Amino acid sequence: MALSNGTGAQSDPPGEYEFLDKIIRHMDRHLIFPLLEHETNREDISDERLKDLTIAKYRLLYNTNMTDYVADLWKEVNDSDEVPTEFSKKREEVLERLRIFEEESSKITDLLADDAVVSQLRSDKVANLKFLEENHGVTIEMVNILYDFGKFRYACGDYERASDLLYQFRVLSTDNEKVSRATWGKLVCEILNTNWEAAMEEIQKLKDSIETRLFNNPRAQLTARESLVHYALFPFFNYEPARETLTELYFSPPYISSIQTVCPWILRYLAAAVITNRSRNKNLGSSSGAYQKQLKDLVRVVKQEVYEYNDPVTEFVKALYVDFDFEEAQRKLGEAEEVLRNDFFLGSSTDVFVESARHLISESYCKIHQRIDIKDLSKRLGLSEEDGEKWIVNLIRDTRVDAKLDYKAGTVVMNHPPQSVYQQRFIVLFHGVNSERFRPIARERRLDLGEYWLKRKARSEKRNF
Amino acid sequence: MSSRFFHGGDSDSESSSSEEEELYGVEGKAEDSEEEESSEEESDSEEESSSDDEGGPVGASRFMKDVASSDESDDEDKHTIVKSAKDKRLEELEGTVRLIENKEKINDWAVISTEFDKMNRQVIKIVQSGTIPKLYVKTISDLEDTINETIAKQKTTALKMNASNTKGFNAMKQKIKKNNKDYATEVEKYRADKEAYMESDEEEEAVPVEKVRRNRVQRIDELDAQIDEEGFATVGRGGRTLQYTPESILKHLRTIIESRGKKNTDRGEQIRIMEKLLEVATTPYQKIRVLLTLISTRFDLTSTSTQTYMSQEQWRSAEREFSSLLQILEASSTYVVTENADEWDDDDKAPQPAPNEVFKIPGSIVSSIERLDDELTRSLQQTDPHTAEYIDRLGDEQLLYNDIVRSLIYIENLKKMENVETPPESANRIVMRRLEHIYFKPTQVVTTLEENTWKALPERLQSEITPRGFVKDAAPLVQTLCNFLFQHSEGIIRARAMLCQIYFLALQDDYWRARDLALMSHLTENISTFDISTQILFNRTLVQIGLCAFRAGLCYEAQGVLQEICGSGRQKELLAQGVGMQRYSQVTPEQERLERQRQLPFHMHINLELLECVYLTCSMLLEIPLLAQTGSSPDIRKRIISKTFRRMLEYTERQVFQGPPENTRDHVMQASKALANGEWRKCSELISKIAIWDLLGKDRENVKAMLAAQIQEEGLRTYLFTYAPYYDTLSLTTLSGMFDLSVKKIAAIISKMISHEELGAALDQVNDAIVFRKGVELSRLQSQIVTLSEKAMGILESNEKVLETRTAGMANAYVRNEQRGDRGGGWGGWQRRDERRIGGQAGAARRPGGQQFGGGALGGAIKA
Repeated sequence: MALSNGTGAQSDPPGEYEFLDKIIRHMDRHLIFPLLEHETNREDISDERLKDLTIAKYRLLYNTNMTDYVADLWKEVNDSDEVPTEFSKKREEVLERLRIFEEESSKITDLLADDAVVSQLRSDKVANLKFLEENHGVTIEMVNILYDFGKFRYACGDYERASDLLYQFRVLSTDNEKVSRATWGKLVCEILNTNWEAAMEEIQKLKDSIETRLFNNPRAQLTARESLVHYALFPFFNYEPARETLTELYFSPPYISSIQTVCPWILRYLAAAVITNRSRNKNLGSSSGAYQKQLKDLVRVVKQEVYEYNDPVTEFVKALYVDFDFEEAQRKLGEAEEVLRNDFFLGSSTDVFVESARHLISESYCKIHQRIDIKDLSKRLGLSEEDGEKWIVNLIRDTRVDAKLDYKAGTVVMNHPPQSVYQQRFIVLFHGVNSERFRPIARERRLDLGEYWLKRKARSEKRNF
Repeated sequence: MSSRFFHGGDSDSESSSSEEEELYGVEGKAEDSEEEESSEEESDSEEESSSDDEGGPVGASRFMKDVASSDESDDEDKHTIVKSAKDKRLEELEGTVRLIENKEKINDWAVISTEFDKMNRQVIKIVQSGTIPKLYVKTISDLEDTINETIAKQKTTALKMNASNTKGFNAMKQKIKKNNKDYATEVEKYRADKEAYMESDEEEEAVPVEKVRRNRVQRIDELDAQIDEEGFATVGRGGRTLQYTPESILKHLRTIIESRGKKNTDRGEQIRIMEKLLEVATTPYQKIRVLLTLISTRFDLTSTSTQTYMSQEQWRSAEREFSSLLQILEASSTYVVTENADEWDDDDKAPQPAPNEVFKIPGSIVSSIERLDDELTRSLQQTDPHTAEYIDRLGDEQLLYNDIVRSLIYIENLKKMENVETPPESANRIVMRRLEHIYFKPTQVVTTLEENTWKALPERLQSEITPRGFVKDAAPLVQTLCNFLFQHSEGIIRARAMLCQIYFLALQDDYWRARDLALMSHLTENISTFDISTQILFNRTLVQIGLCAFRAGLCYEAQGVLQEICGSGRQKELLAQGVGMQRYSQVTPEQERLERQRQLPFHMHINLELLECVYLTCSMLLEIPLLAQTGSSPDIRKRIISKTFRRMLEYTERQVFQGPPENTRDHVMQASKALANGEWRKCSELISKIAIWDLLGKDRENVKAMLAAQIQEEGLRTYLFTYAPYYDTLSLTTLSGMFDLSVKKIAAIISKMISHEELGAALDQVNDAIVFRKGVELSRLQSQIVTLSEKAMGILESNEKVLETRTAGMANAYVRNEQRGDRGGGWGGWQRRDERRIGGQAGAARRPGGQQFGGGALGGAIKA
């Protein structure tokens, strides 16, 4: 919305502006601001673009209560020192309303600040409300004022206090609709406060409420999931412990299908997350199986969406795992690196990503090849010959690949021991029992069309007309 | 004009108009006979007519008679009914009286006695509904006189009568005395002044006769010029035609409507009457009413059985009338036609709505247009598609489409009107019809159709859903119509709209969108709950998606989609493109009739030969490498992609002598054999020689190129699968020469195969070669052990399945992978115990394997 004029005015070489546009469209107004701010701080930014962004920021915040900042932006946009009276008037209004709100809500906030009262509250909301009503004269209207005030604070950019107010409101209110809106508001507040743990809590709450409250309205579920997926990007890449949980969340059948349906661009983040997860998983030393599964899922999804969405990151995945085109993968890795560096969310994890991606390339390369020219491999990994050699040595050491360097010929020789038939059998046996037979019956939205047949086969007999 | 002559002399003229005609017919017959005879005959035929016999004169009057008699049973229109019934009874009475008079003259008392009884019965009925008929009074008093006279005569002359006569006479004597007491006053009056008594009667009825007569004279003079039929028929027609005045239109319509659905109604005649009525109709109200009835009568003309259909002439007239109906409705804003309007009962005067008022006329534009559409479809079903007639009828589609669009506009306008409730689905139904006329057509055809339609419609008509000039292209049109239906409709129409859109997208080579829509619609899950024609549409859509995938070069997807339809061997039946031969099931005539009814007209067909060709080619590309793969390593489960293809292949292989390929199937089969032998060039050549590809039009060359590329790849794969056991190493350059592919491409294909563990090999980058691993193949003993272990697994599985059904719903207890971590939670203990017991040794062996799946430590131990 805000940036659309910005993108139109300029050439958009890597398609990144457009990408940003897509993301922004699904974000909360206040969440867009950091994104724009990040854009503004790019080193190679042109004047024109800077101006566009400033206008965008101005328009973005125009409707909020952050009047001072908006006035500053106005000055910047119009290149003048005088501020129209409009802003000062609005400022007065905002202050006035703030005062009124404070007055109105003072009673209930005081009550809630009183430990004696709070200690008497129980988990039952209705009983609480009744208790407060009987003993302290609290009405529903007063509770709702908390909500309105929280919203107002939020519009002022005072996220911390807004978050508190919304929390208090949520404790008392029985209006499910408003409670869920308050939860969304609180999530944004926590994100903007960079209070990730609390944000994760809110995400969990929202996830549950989407499943339970909206279960008979698929359309609303879809939009809610879409928003959640977008909002959750903030903790996803800024808060380490959240990474694992959120990856799982994104891969869970309802979410992955939402992503595929309405916002395939999230795949970039998902792909980046999966690929970077590799190094961390290795450090933890566990769940390589889970990692393999994630990777497999990722490849499947990317392959399915390739007709609809492409960017360097997904193209990298495609080149490596669908086409087995290592040269292409290498090229895409280069492109992806650049894109990632400039990405608000992924900027910090670029190096980890490149490292992990190289690992993936070499892993799959080694699996397929028996004898590899070091020079060639180094080229593929985008390294000098010497670095390449080091890299391979490290790789052999780290992954315990059965391989030897032939220094004279300048090659690596892989020793792929043939799998014994007995081993194969057993694996098939265990595999068959443990994972295939009891695979959770999760139905993805995008069945292969081939499954049309399977699903209807049984029915077709009935249909003899 | 002889009728006038007869009429003038006859006393029956007082009867109502419908009766008149009947009498003319009768009198015309009796023209030459003598007075007495004629009266006798008349009475006879009248008796006949009262019992509705076939003895009536010609078709037209017979029909009118029906109307009259049927009226008796109808309460709605008391006025006319009572009158005609009464008249009829009077006539009967007259007949009887005449008979009695005749018999009096010859002293046949036996007959007189029976006739007298009959007359009394008739009179009772008449008396119930009015006064005592004078004729009756006259008869009984005359009869009494005669009896008295006869008694006197008998005494004087001692004339003997025969036995039956005497008996009748005596009975009469007593009866007449008794009877006449009841009518004493009337009889007295009559006796007092015979002439005057009968006169008063005459005068009363003379007036209307005069009027009718005058009227008739005028009318006939007018019509003389128009009617050039001759003789007798002219009389009948002339007599009737003069009733077609603007005032009487509604009455005529009423009778026609009432006769609807009855046996023995001559609809052709009704249509002719209505056509005449339409000519004389002056007000919009009359015109609308006549047209509504006329159109529905035209539809009644053809029974709903499969074999008959509306003739083109009839259809065109119906179409013409329908469009003029719309024209009238568009012009007059006062009258609207809706389904839920009340009948206007007063036939004598038309409703006079106030200028701003809206008057509703019962009727259904939607049903009419639907019927019109169905009739065209039916006639197309019955016509041989290879004749000029078919093309000719197909041309009528434009007219029909015009009407559809026009009625859609009408319905839209109705919706905008206040205080007119239109059922919401009427617009949906019309939009659906419109959609069904375009969804399967190429874009150019749709564009032309649309353009012509808008040209044909008057300038001021404007549609809201699809404004004039809005549609330059078919795609947005289909999109708009579908969106409209998605928003406003539900259930079957919605599903059909969805299918139409998917079909259209697939036709436009938009595979991804078509597929996404197909998957998101979730129609696969509940299509079996829809009616059969929707299921057929679903099958058509499925096939179209398959063909689209094929054109896009996605053979795997194409095969998967087409499998169900083509693999069944009942393509014809499933697509409603011909009645399939069923070997094992018996089809009742009823089923066969229904099936014939469902057939699609030829111009909607999907070419079955092309379909089969696409299906077989795709199957070949998938099956041949698979066969090669399973051939070399027996441990892969015998997976079958297409049974149909396998069967055909086996059949071809069994043949001793192989002739040159003749049909499509031969081509594909021989190509398959060539591919299996690694001769991809021959395979490619055979495939590209198939003539049916020509139907793909401009895509033909692309498809052939795509197929050639796929054949190269699959040829390579097949070759590798088949000959891997015989090689240690294989140079990529050699392969590149053999399959005419670049080294890079070959490396990519092989990498994929290795990575998916289809091929036990590795690439040697330095020498550009594949190194095959040895010891991958199993010895005979090993492969048998593999089979054994598979069977054991099977037993285990079925065992657990049994358990699962026993513990219905608790199957989650077996998600061991997840549960291993937290054994504490959840399910009841006994199941798990059970599971261990059943799992037994297998369970014990499985656990370490499950935990160390990735590592393969167990495998290592065994190796060591």
